[in-house]
Amino acid sequence: MSKEIRNPNPDKKHGPTDSDFGLRASFGLRNSAFGFLSRHFRELSVAVALCVLLLVLAAAAPAFFGKQQLLTTLTTAAPVLIAACGMTLVIICRQIDISIGSQFAVCSVIAGLMAKAGWPMPVVALGVVASGALMGSFNGMCVAALGLPSIVVTLATMVTWREALRWWREGEFVKYLPKGFQWFGFNQAAGQAMILAGAALVFVLLVLAMKHLAAGRFVYAVGSDKEAARLAGIHPQGVTFGVFVVMGALTGLAALLNAIRFADIDPKTGTGLELQTIAAVVVGGVAISGGRGHLWGTLAGVLLLSCIAPALVFLKMPAQWEKVIQGAIILLAVAADGWRSRRNGKRR
Amino acid sequence: MNADERRSNWKSLLRFETLLIAVLMIEWFVFARTGTNFATQGNLLEILKFSVEIGLLALGMTPVILTGGIDLSVGSLLGLCAVCFGKLWRDAGLAWPVAAGLTLCIGALAGGLNALLITRLRLPPLIVTLGSFSLFRGLAEALTQGVDNFTSFPSDFLAYGQGYYGVIPAQVPVFAVAAVAVWLLVHRTTFGRSFRAIGFAPEGARYAGLPVERRLALAYVLSGTVAALAALIYVARVGQAKADAGTGYELLAITAVVLGGTSIFGGIGTVQGTLLGVATLAVLKNGLQLSDQPSELAGILTGALLLVVLTGEAAAKKFSARRIRSAILPAKPNSTT
Repeated sequence: MSKEIRNPNPDKKHGPTDSDFGLRASFGLRNSAFGFLSRHFRELSVAVALCVLLLVLAAAAPAFFGKQQLLTTLTTAAPVLIAACGMTLVIICRQIDISIGSQFAVCSVIAGLMAKAGWPMPVVALGVVASGALMGSFNGMCVAALGLPSIVVTLATMVTWREALRWWREGEFVKYLPKGFQWFGFNQAAGQAMILAGAALVFVLLVLAMKHLAAGRFVYAVGSDKEAARLAGIHPQGVTFGVFVVMGALTGLAALLNAIRFADIDPKTGTGLELQTIAAVVVGGVAISGGRGHLWGTLAGVLLLSCIAPALVFLKMPAQWEKVIQGAIILLAVAADGWRSRRNGKRR
Repeated sequence: MNADERRSNWKSLLRFETLLIAVLMIEWFVFARTGTNFATQGNLLEILKFSVEIGLLALGMTPVILTGGIDLSVGSLLGLCAVCFGKLWRDAGLAWPVAAGLTLCIGALAGGLNALLITRLRLPPLIVTLGSFSLFRGLAEALTQGVDNFTSFPSDFLAYGQGYYGVIPAQVPVFAVAAVAVWLLVHRTTFGRSFRAIGFAPEGARYAGLPVERRLALAYVLSGTVAALAALIYVARVGQAKADAGTGYELLAITAVVLGGTSIFGGIGTVQGTLLGVATLAVLKNGLQLSDQPSELAGILTGALLLVVLTGEAAAKKFSARRIRSAILPAKPNSTT
């Protein structure tokens, strides 16, 4: 059995800081303001778009910024943000997961049933996250171990989970939840604060992990070039599997934080969540071809897309235009990317 | 008969279509026993009638997936075209054949929008069609204000979805023509060859002198036009046009295409495989219904079938790759460890 040559240039010693997987801008502008602008062009332009929208709202409909309204908008966006963070990792790893809407519904129902069975809330939370991780690990197993394309695997699991849930519950709402379930048994303000704090905590932890933990860099490495990552000593299958498990766990958490906002649980919840999160991630500038993107972009994308529906209400425009505007934003964002890369391509 | 020849015979038997035909036969055998009135001519024609729309979408999707792309927008486009047809016929007061023709043009235009973004700006099809998925459905809802419903179409139009020629449902000949046309395009013209070439390697196809952009655009415009045709048949069958027509159809169509053996990465696949995929899904659904099984089981089995078939394919590929490798490199050096 011939052994592969893992280091083609044995004279050169590779230090741990030699490569950051191509994330450093090659033109030496890393620390200048222009370099920052050009590297984060997409995140910043989405943030600018969000600011413009907020300014228009501030001028035309100040009621949008009323405390209760703002809190409602943000607590609606928080579960989406958590799921979108997971989706960011999956897409950076050059995979995709379209089954999270169904996972979300299954996790919501499981949360309700566990709470009804009288389990204490922390155990319920753990159980929901674990069942999300379990469903994610099934996707991960099919993708990583069997080498099947993720879009097809998750298409299959999406249909399977959704239909299995319908078969099991027959569309029945989970009702008569114990008192400790809605808002974790606190009043509404405290519950909303906890949801926001939970989402913020997850977001910050993931940002730090993606930047400073080896596992975070591995995700970028596998997403940019699987083979190169393997030669660098990373186990791509392991990373891919891990990303799907994290995605599932985050979906479970998102489902829990969404479920505690209501008095009973709709088994049809989460329909279309997969496309909503993918849209937010893409608008935030994460490359669908893997290896590029930041969680900050996802945050901006989620906020921009979840402001549209309430903004339409406050600007007294028909609510049916929401999807049109969402679609237009996605197409505009990627078209801007296309134009920009074409122009850069010509200049070089 | 030498060993190579025997192997190639054995291999041609192991093709994907054979596997699907076996699955179909198993389904048929099981449901003929469990289902009431399953194995009758009438039921066979009913299955055909109800699978025409998904079948059309899957037919249009096949060239797109062959090029390595995907079109998530066809279900939304079906809804948009249904609403546009209703608007043109009722509100603009056009005769229905004119409205139908214009609807087909709208479908082609919408496909052209996808094609424009994908080819001119070189954007990933998944993202572009995700955007237009939202856009088209949104336009359909905005045009109807979310509530408007178009009904009471003229009876000579409805005949195309509800009428029969003898025993054959009226939409089946349309579907057959479309199937033959797409089959000819994919398997008997240079267009089809270039779809595969692009799916295998877009850059290689470009170096081989193929007009990659124009061929890609053709695939997406075709997919849009076929979606418009499916919309017309849907409206004729159901007798109404609402903004939520065809929700989730894109996933059913993709499932059928992938189940039919088309590789989601492009380059590999056949139209007859797609047709078999559509048939497998339709028979499964209908058979379970007639066997008094819950309809959810059809969805679960569809997902499971998709996974099993793909795993089988992946395993077979790994196996054959190992055999090829051992055939090319017969002598492995044993000295190194």
